[in-house]
Amino acid sequence: MKTVALAMALLLAALAQAAVAPLFPLSAAVPDLCLLALVMVVAFGGPRAAMVAVPVVALSFAFASNRSAALVLLAYLPLLPLAFVLEEGGLPLNRFAQTLVAGVATGLWARLALALGAMADGAAPQPGLLVAAVLVPGVMLDLLMLTMAYLPLRALGVEPRALEIPRSRYGWS
Amino acid sequence: MLIFSRYTWWVGAMLGLSVFLTAAGQVGVRHPVQGAFLVITRPAEELLTSILRPIAGFLSDAGSISDLREENRRLRLENEELRTQSISLQTDAERVKQLEEALKISQGAANEQYLAANVVHRDSSAFTDVISIDRGSNSGVRVGMVVLSSQGSLMGTVTEVFGSRSFVRLITDSKSKVAAQVQASQADGIVKGAANRTLTFDLAQADIKVGDIIVTSALTGRYPAGLPIGKVTEVSGTQQDLFRKVTLEPFVRLSTASTVLVQTSFIPQGLLEAGD
Repeated sequence: MKTVALAMALLLAALAQAAVAPLFPLSAAVPDLCLLALVMVVAFGGPRAAMVAVPVVALSFAFASNRSAALVLLAYLPLLPLAFVLEEGGLPLNRFAQTLVAGVATGLWARLALALGAMADGAAPQPGLLVAAVLVPGVMLDLLMLTMAYLPLRALGVEPRALEIPRSRYGWS
Repeated sequence: MLIFSRYTWWVGAMLGLSVFLTAAGQVGVRHPVQGAFLVITRPAEELLTSILRPIAGFLSDAGSISDLREENRRLRLENEELRTQSISLQTDAERVKQLEEALKISQGAANEQYLAANVVHRDSSAFTDVISIDRGSNSGVRVGMVVLSSQGSLMGTVTEVFGSRSFVRLITDSKSKVAAQVQASQADGIVKGAANRTLTFDLAQADIKVGDIIVTSALTGRYPAGLPIGKVTEVSGTQQDLFRKVTLEPFVRLSTASTVLVQTSFIPQGLLEAGD
């Protein structure tokens, strides 16, 4: 039941990203609801849920918006490994800061990857515009939305989960 | 470290999936799967859009209230001017009709056919401007067909069609190129979508000034002639320049249009040659 609800929520996030998010732009950047959903899954759902969520969200968004599925998947791919590296890396960051860094860095990469994809597909290359109108406002949007989603969940008592995968569950030595 | 972790196999699997998806797109496997996905998710998407589009419209209007005041003032002036022109045109039309009758000339009525469609999704960024509409091949929409605003201005062309959904590249998309001409001088050029959803007009050494109307040209066979595109808002460079920089303002507010018309009676050259 919990899995079905999560799958529906992810699907809804992908559809909302395609249908609704472009209606609320900041400069030329739009809120990344797919990223927001994925970061919340990574932070609170654990590694296995996140491993399934990334391709599900990427494919759903790609199909809904007629974008390249491979490109969208590559755009969100760094989130989980990055979150894991931040958790394991011993940096003096609490879980909230780790989540923000992983989310914002992935958001930055995702917007860059999708813009480079558009340029490779024939759009005129405009690096200045990309930085000023897409990447910088995008970072601000991501910071705002991740904070607005993370803190209330923590206030409600939802505990973040570790990203270390238990070895015994997969029988690896 | 990550390289020794259990995430390595997952990253590898995702990269493999990316390669597979690219290959699936190339051989056409993706199209039916995506079509089924769009059919299944359509009710949810329509629900989301119907709830949030009015809110977005309100916020957009609230955020640009001074622009809207200015636009309103300008439109009032234009409206007055157009009323005057309309009266003049009615007089001219009546005179032409009388002359045609006198000369025994008759012209067939225009029999353009349009299909109304709702905008259900918008993919709008600094480099792309694509919408999807709730009509597809089941309603007779085909790739290449021209999409107009409800007032008849050019909005874009259909780029991909599914059973009940089509994707439309708007004229402000960076990849969009439209054969066009200055209405007054008939000088030919190309209207291009530029970064950040703006429009430019490339034409070689011709007179052009702010306020000139740009319409489609039938030169490439991809658009019917005479569809209004926009008005010249800025011209930079001198007449000696081979290409002057001309910026256009589209007649239709592409970002807020919720209903469009697909011109089903005009078959673009590419489709005719394909024998469709």
